[in-house]
Amino acid sequence: MKPPVDGRLDALRGSSPRLSYNARSLAALENNPRCTLRALLDASGSDKAAIAAHIGYPSPFGQSSFAFARGNAFEAMVKDNGCAELLRVLRETLKLTLPEVAYLDLNEVGGAGDNDARHRRTTEVLLEAARGNGEGTLFDHPLLHLQVGGEGAFLEPDLVAFRIDGRFYIVEIKSFPIIDGQADPAQVRAATTQASAYIIALRALLAHHGMDTGAVSDTIVLVAPKDFTNRPTAAFVDARKQVAALTRQLSRIERVSDLVDLLPEDLTFDLDLDLTLPKKEQRPRRPAEELAAAVARVPATYRPDCLNHCEMAFHCRAHARAEASLDVLGPAVREQLGGIDTATMALGLARGQLTPTGDQSDMAAALRHAARLRDELTEAYGGAA
Amino acid sequence: MSDPLDALEHSISTLRRAIRDASAAGDSERAGELRAQLRRAERAWDALIDTGEPAPAPPPRTVPDTPPAAFGSQLPAREHVHRALMLLGTPAAPKLIVGVHEAFFPGELSASKLSSLRRDEARSYQSSPGARPYYLCSALAHDLLTPVRALLTISTWPLEQRIIGPLSPRVDFLTGAIRIAEAVHAAETSAGGEPSAAALRLLWRFAANIPEAMPSRTPERESVLDTQQVIDAARAELAVHLDADHAVRSEASRRARALDEAQQLFGAPPQNVTPLRARA
Repeated sequence: MKPPVDGRLDALRGSSPRLSYNARSLAALENNPRCTLRALLDASGSDKAAIAAHIGYPSPFGQSSFAFARGNAFEAMVKDNGCAELLRVLRETLKLTLPEVAYLDLNEVGGAGDNDARHRRTTEVLLEAARGNGEGTLFDHPLLHLQVGGEGAFLEPDLVAFRIDGRFYIVEIKSFPIIDGQADPAQVRAATTQASAYIIALRALLAHHGMDTGAVSDTIVLVAPKDFTNRPTAAFVDARKQVAALTRQLSRIERVSDLVDLLPEDLTFDLDLDLTLPKKEQRPRRPAEELAAAVARVPATYRPDCLNHCEMAFHCRAHARAEASLDVLGPAVREQLGGIDTATMALGLARGQLTPTGDQSDMAAALRHAARLRDELTEAYGGAA
Repeated sequence: MSDPLDALEHSISTLRRAIRDASAAGDSERAGELRAQLRRAERAWDALIDTGEPAPAPPPRTVPDTPPAAFGSQLPAREHVHRALMLLGTPAAPKLIVGVHEAFFPGELSASKLSSLRRDEARSYQSSPGARPYYLCSALAHDLLTPVRALLTISTWPLEQRIIGPLSPRVDFLTGAIRIAEAVHAAETSAGGEPSAAALRLLWRFAANIPEAMPSRTPERESVLDTQQVIDAARAELAVHLDADHAVRSEASRRARALDEAQQLFGAPPQNVTPLRARA
């Protein structure tokens, strides 16, 4: 069952405990599927934050503990007293009928919280519901399983609601407000991406047991505080586009084994932690330069929005800047300057210091034109610019 | 104060001083209460010295320098919890227990005191089963008969009342709403006067999530909760779920009677997964 690639991935991670995919690394996958460094670090379960910190690029932020506590408190409030608040909003949005109140807690199985037992139980009750003889309407924190690049990842939606007419809805509980029916588009997008992964995982579960995947709705239910109050309200969000995008990226994701084969045999991102010490006192013992050199041997595809979701982003940005790569300027500029990779080359072509190759000639003409316009402007305004 | 022993010694000496003051002032009732607290703290200190384990009951944190507010405010946490649960008549999570306590009873009860309560009760039961008139124990999951996360119940309740099936959270919520509405109604009609603001807030939180329980809002006057309307609305929805819930509960309680007494109270061990396999 275990292909040898697992051994290679374990070697890449080294002695540290394995981290699994989570909503954050899946968002990174959706936003930057082509980045080899991210793919390898995530697939091997390496601690990206610790590696980045050790090689001198600590992320100055992280998830705020206040935001985290706020999110948890809001979710607990919504689910308090037999999901009383949640039932009210779901009765309003999903038109749940009065008898549809059955609630199954999948946070643990009879006191045991291990992932395998929870996943087994989730599978059991969700399949029962899909077959139409289950007793659940609300499934609290089911544990789903998704294959990402040949590696399994456990995913945990806030809630899955099952309607009598045979549809599953992913319910995502978020603590950013919906004000006058409007919410921050970036936040909604992030929530939808997360929910898309759940939709895909739930469909995979049904498909695996020979059931119709259409039973899982493309529409997610977003539960969030209403206006400036703490009372929840719900809205439908159409996730079709993101489900399609993520499905495509998951199917295209370069098989991790192919990536691993391209690496030098001795490459590892091991931090060499002293695992005998308590977790808080563990310090990387591997020389930082050696680790940095190892990381630098793997190509990274930097994009400015990596800063939102990848701990390695500062490292990648520094490297992209050092190489004067156009990646730093974002995809908009990159696309405008197709075929040109670095700022040095773009400036050289604009100033006529470089001779364009055949397929660069159009771009070179455009760049020279832009440079001329700029010169005229700066001269006209006395070099004010 | 990192060491629990240090904390205990500190509170023991504070208590002794307070007892001396109370006796000097001739307040024998207060001195008696403080002596009981002192004995508890000393027992905890003994236990800590003997076993090196954390004390079973947290020491009284500080000695209140105000006289006792009202009857019952000095009761131990388990008595407060018992009273709140008796009012609700359903298994409840610590947050709701604290909410009910604040709405209807005097004295301090914080959710943090409840976190270790169930374990303490189980330990007390194991050391001398049946020594206390009641125990605060677990609600049982209808399928595995394992303890349900967070919920507290009372050992004197029938097993059926302590079983949680798929519909039970909603049934218990509606039952709790009725009991709270009745308590608010009793406070309204009693000679003493009015229900507390906390009680009305609690009732409002329940009523807002029951169909037809909120008074229709008219532009002329601010809506006032009608306890009878809340009770009627909750009963109407309860009627929809009650039969199905009852069937699950009584079936599960029949199976639960096969467990030994401690397991009936505090739940079957987690590895007991046979009932689920049998059903699947």
